[in-house]
Amino acid sequence: MRSALISAIAHLIATSVVAWGASSFAGGMPDEQAYWQELPVVLTASRLAQPLSEAPNAMTVIDRQMIKASGFRRLSELFRLVPGMYAGSQNGHSQFVSYHGTTDNFARRMQVLVDGRSVYLPPFSMVIWDDIPVLLQDVERIEVIRGPAAAAYGGNSTQGVINIITREADIMAPGQVSVAQGANNVSDLAVTFGQHSGSLDQRLSLGYRADGGYDIAVFNDSNRTRLLNWRAAYTPGGQDRFDVQAGYSASVRGDGVAGRNQSPLRDLFTNHDFQQLTWTRALESGNELRVQYHHTHSSFDDSQPNYLLDGVRLFPKVYIQTRRHDIELQHTVQWSNENRLVWGAGSRSDEVVSAALFYYKPAPRLQQYRLFAHNEWRVRDTLVFNAGAMWEDDGIGHRNVSPRASLNYHVTPHQTLRVGASAAYRNPAVIEEYGNTQPAETSPFAAYGGLSPEKMLSREIGYVGQFPGTGLTLDTRFYVDQLNHLIFLDPLRDANGNFNSASFKNMYQIQFRGWESTLKYQWRAQSRLIFNFARQRAACVADGAPTFIADPRAVAWFSGWLAQCPGMVPTNSGSLLLDHNLDAGLALSAGYYFQDEVQVLDALKPQRFMHRVDIKITRSFGKPDESGGGEVSLVMQNLFRDTHTEYSSIPQQGEPVLDRRAYLVTTITF
Amino acid sequence: MLMLWLAALAVDAAPLKVAFIADPSHPAYREYGQALRQALAGDGTITWTEQTREADLVIAAGERAAREVENSSAPVLYTMISQHTYSNLGKAARHAAIYLDQPLERQLDLLEAALPQARDIGVIYSSPTEELNRLRKLAMARGRILHARQVEQENALAGTLKALLEESTVLLVLPDEAILNAGTIRNILLETYRVQVPMVGLSASYVRAGALCAVYSTPQQIARQTVTALVQFAATGKLPLSQHSNEFEVQVNRQVARSLGLHVPDAEQLRAQMRREP
Repeated sequence: MRSALISAIAHLIATSVVAWGASSFAGGMPDEQAYWQELPVVLTASRLAQPLSEAPNAMTVIDRQMIKASGFRRLSELFRLVPGMYAGSQNGHSQFVSYHGTTDNFARRMQVLVDGRSVYLPPFSMVIWDDIPVLLQDVERIEVIRGPAAAAYGGNSTQGVINIITREADIMAPGQVSVAQGANNVSDLAVTFGQHSGSLDQRLSLGYRADGGYDIAVFNDSNRTRLLNWRAAYTPGGQDRFDVQAGYSASVRGDGVAGRNQSPLRDLFTNHDFQQLTWTRALESGNELRVQYHHTHSSFDDSQPNYLLDGVRLFPKVYIQTRRHDIELQHTVQWSNENRLVWGAGSRSDEVVSAALFYYKPAPRLQQYRLFAHNEWRVRDTLVFNAGAMWEDDGIGHRNVSPRASLNYHVTPHQTLRVGASAAYRNPAVIEEYGNTQPAETSPFAAYGGLSPEKMLSREIGYVGQFPGTGLTLDTRFYVDQLNHLIFLDPLRDANGNFNSASFKNMYQIQFRGWESTLKYQWRAQSRLIFNFARQRAACVADGAPTFIADPRAVAWFSGWLAQCPGMVPTNSGSLLLDHNLDAGLALSAGYYFQDEVQVLDALKPQRFMHRVDIKITRSFGKPDESGGGEVSLVMQNLFRDTHTEYSSIPQQGEPVLDRRAYLVTTITF
Repeated sequence: MLMLWLAALAVDAAPLKVAFIADPSHPAYREYGQALRQALAGDGTITWTEQTREADLVIAAGERAAREVENSSAPVLYTMISQHTYSNLGKAARHAAIYLDQPLERQLDLLEAALPQARDIGVIYSSPTEELNRLRKLAMARGRILHARQVEQENALAGTLKALLEESTVLLVLPDEAILNAGTIRNILLETYRVQVPMVGLSASYVRAGALCAVYSTPQQIARQTVTALVQFAATGKLPLSQHSNEFEVQVNRQVARSLGLHVPDAEQLRAQMRREP
């Protein structure tokens, strides 16, 4: 199977290279053909991004220039460039990203999409970032919606949406090789090919990414990922477009702590593959019909052998497989001069198989249905009213309607005020509703089921200002987000009166308040400064009670979390990214990142105030994107050896530290 | 008053024999022919003939048709061809043209009306033309800078475009089939969109595809101008001077404008504004 795949890839590469060489210059047509030629609709409604000043939500866009300037190597790290977002890793080995703090490595409340395909794993309500088979080089831009957006992005967009948009096959990309080598075994390789002929465009990317993790000896947190991503676009005429994508990734991540019997040194193996087909038809007057199908499959394999301590089996071998099919139809229709409607329907099936997590009873396959509609009404030139809703059936037995409305008022053509309100739900994760593990484990689950979805109610006031002539833009918002029926661990008492297993229950209500700002200053085409800042507070109250409420230990446990709650968001956090292109092929960029102390949910002590400075120096030669051109960059992370520690959920073992580290990236275009 | 008198004079003369030939490859030429015949239906001063040799005047629509009659002994009115093609034609005994393309001044008028802030105009081309030099001078006279980059082979398009877009605030499309065609337009439009540089296209089709706006003349508009030239020829026996179409359409892709954060007046306002400009 593997060798067949490799030979198929080799064949594809060979044909791509040949076709590049053979492509000839068109010509010989009468001049006036240029005027009569039917052209394909390229910038279709679904491809066009809404400008910040007209979007119904606060939005941060991470573009290619920012990705390059940051020097980051992993997708998850980029979210340090979003105000209010937490990007971290658990014990060094598992990357995660969350909004409004309050999370453990299961960052449950944010939808993550890659080209419209959800990579959020419903069995655990989490995203395995390292497994997303996308090279950073292939990311066109990332739109981060700050605030619930279920009406437009579907269920589980409870706190926000990360929408990763990859480079389309049509984008010109000649062959390129990029190699990174550096401290702590940083070793990356990325190879991309692009080919364009007539109505077919394709690109192929192969990647390898590895490093030795954080600078702490006791944690086994090295990681290496291999990935493959292929995308093709077939545009047979002016109207239709077929976009096909497929990808595969295989990761090995270290886990375990030296000298800790409960968590011996070992490897976690994860695989992910997907196939996706999108058909877009351009209709009259800018209308559009789109059908998208995707299938994803992933597996998680904790290779640890059954481990015994004093005759008690601590961990069974954990092997998990998930599979998803999803189909969606979307119709965009400009039904009057002032109104544009996007509506559609979709269905998704989710399956999870794991003898370890569903020991007594397998989890059911969940079939979910959704209907959505969103209308943009341009009341006047100065007033845009967005309203929408999504109805969903989560397959567990919940039917929710998530509405959203917002009003954007252009005080002047360059100054916009926005007020908005929305509701969104997070459906219980499969493990929360159905998980059942062997009692012999250290932290077994025995889910009672019957959970209600978490409900988010969000209100915000925003301002987007451009100051033409100065190069300045400001985007700021104040919000109050209230999360009800928060699902949390519910300690269970066994026959001996001990609390050593847990279920899940709707138990808390959290209110987040804060403000976020992004200030951009651009003084040259390739030179700019981006400053992000967020200030936030969390307050919690009880919204339910543990099952064994009569037991003082359960009460202490329950109220202990309540007391900890305000510390679960970093009060202040932000970033500063400076990107300056000097002449003569020299570019300099620098990033500063900071975050106040924050208590991560399953950590034993708060993660300390962190701040660090990264710099990147790039020297390009030839024309970097043309054959024979390229560039060499030196990246230094945590240049001044400031505090940057990640959180650890393991007692007495210290914190993963990111010390100063440097690596060299060489990119050559062929 | 003068026109009436001319018309009256023409009625007395024998009807003018006009041969019409058109490139059959695109419906636009057919539409043009239909518009022409419709406008002249019932006009006693003109009769149609199939034979170019016995015609008093030949109307050739499109380059392919033009090539067929480029050595005609009868006077030829070339229509629906570009100025560039016309200048390279073998010349018939007497000839004139009504061009398909827009005068460069009008394209700059559109740029000024739609994007008053756009100072740096980018153009890609496969081989240098006289037009480019004229455009450079015209742009300079209006306080704008033309950045023109040559693409010598197709696989250099990506890099050349990227470099061009770095220094341009708008990409102006000039007809150049070698580098601007249905196959390359996807790449080019996506690249311009990525760097948020609007494209000014050549036709309604460009605007549908994703260009911000375009100015162009429809076959019907060119037909109306042809009728005027015909009537004049019938009356005086003189061909007009070669000319661009006086009438034109403007189209704006509102969704693209909005997505790029550009406040562009609507097509009617742009047209009115362009007419006002000298």
